Amino acid sequence: MSHLSEDRFDHLVSAERARDAAPLNTWESIAQRAREEGLIRDHRTNVWATPWMRTAAAVLFLAGGVAVGRYTGGEPATPPATQTAENTNPLPPAASAGFNSVDEAWATLDRASTEYQAASAFLAANNNRGSTAPDSVSIYRARLAALEELMRATASARENAPRDPVINQYYLATVGAREATFQQLGAVAPASHRLKGF
Amino acid sequence: MLIDQLDLKRAIAGDERALRRLWTQHAPHIDAVVRRLCGDAELAADISQEVWMQIFRALPSYRGDSQFGTWAHRIAVNRTLNALRKIRRIAKLEVDIEDDSALVEPDIDRTFVAESIERAMTRLSPGARAVFVLHDIEGYTHGEIGAELGITPGGSKSQLFKARAKLRKLLAHLADESTPVAGKAYVAPV
Repeated sequence: MSHLSEDRFDHLVSAERARDAAPLNTWESIAQRAREEGLIRDHRTNVWATPWMRTAAAVLFLAGGVAVGRYTGGEPATPPATQTAENTNPLPPAASAGFNSVDEAWATLDRASTEYQAASAFLAANNNRGSTAPDSVSIYRARLAALEELMRATASARENAPRDPVINQYYLATVGAREATFQQLGAVAPASHRLKGF
Repeated sequence: MLIDQLDLKRAIAGDERALRRLWTQHAPHIDAVVRRLCGDAELAADISQEVWMQIFRALPSYRGDSQFGTWAHRIAVNRTLNALRKIRRIAKLEVDIEDDSALVEPDIDRTFVAESIERAMTRLSPGARAVFVLHDIEGYTHGEIGAELGITPGGSKSQLFKARAKLRKLLAHLADESTPVAGKAYVAPV
């Protein structure tokens, strides 16, 4: 019985060493298994599932909304000390625990966001209170610049979490506030300084 | 192959696209190793899935001290050998090599050289195949093979000698073929 020479055999082994092969499985089958084991996670859930992140997003959303709302209404963002007591905790104590499910809370947040944007747009179009204050233009300009920063931040966040409802709502609210501010600024700025864009 | 650190972080965080990129980059080599060690495509497919789960699970422990492919390759070899042990495919490493084993059918077409080698390897006992693949294909030393398989370096050398002799016989029909060799000349690890 003949044998392959050592040299010839080594050459074949060398070729075999360099040879890769088609994957033994499809990615779909690997991914399914990985998903079952929790190794593949929904990015949205992964990034924003932690309570502190959700809380931080909610606080930002609320603070941004309050600030923009007060500016839009011509009032200072931080109420005077004399008003603090009477305005503290306007919601009933049970409100934070009044939801029966996460879906219900999200639905409420969606509704609030929509109403907030509609209110912002209405105020921008109809409320002129405080618009004659000498520093209105500078206030609106500063707010507009801040909102631009927020838009960039939320737009960046959306790239990482495109389906995250908190991020999307915050982004939309920022867009709405920016638009409202833009209109307010257009209304109070001297005709020679009217903005056509920002 | 270098791995992007951002991609690694994303993969650890469970980002499917990042995990898929890792798999796409390394599956051709990792799966080839698994298949060679198993000698059976169906079994290799099952074990390969286990191997990839293990690689994904172990991602947080990857420190970047070695190339990702090398690190993953080690996991693939360990996991495959463990799986084979479990199913008692290499429970007995000192298997006699039958001198009168059936020969591989002669291949006329040169494109079948690789398949001939693969089929010839399946004719080896599981233990001899593991030693041959680890030493001649993957570059392990006899000491490393001994540690992996629980045999002595001398036992590994003996298995390799028998495996190579049998393969040379099984592949005798390729003696006249002029196969282009990829890479540099073979140098056996010590």
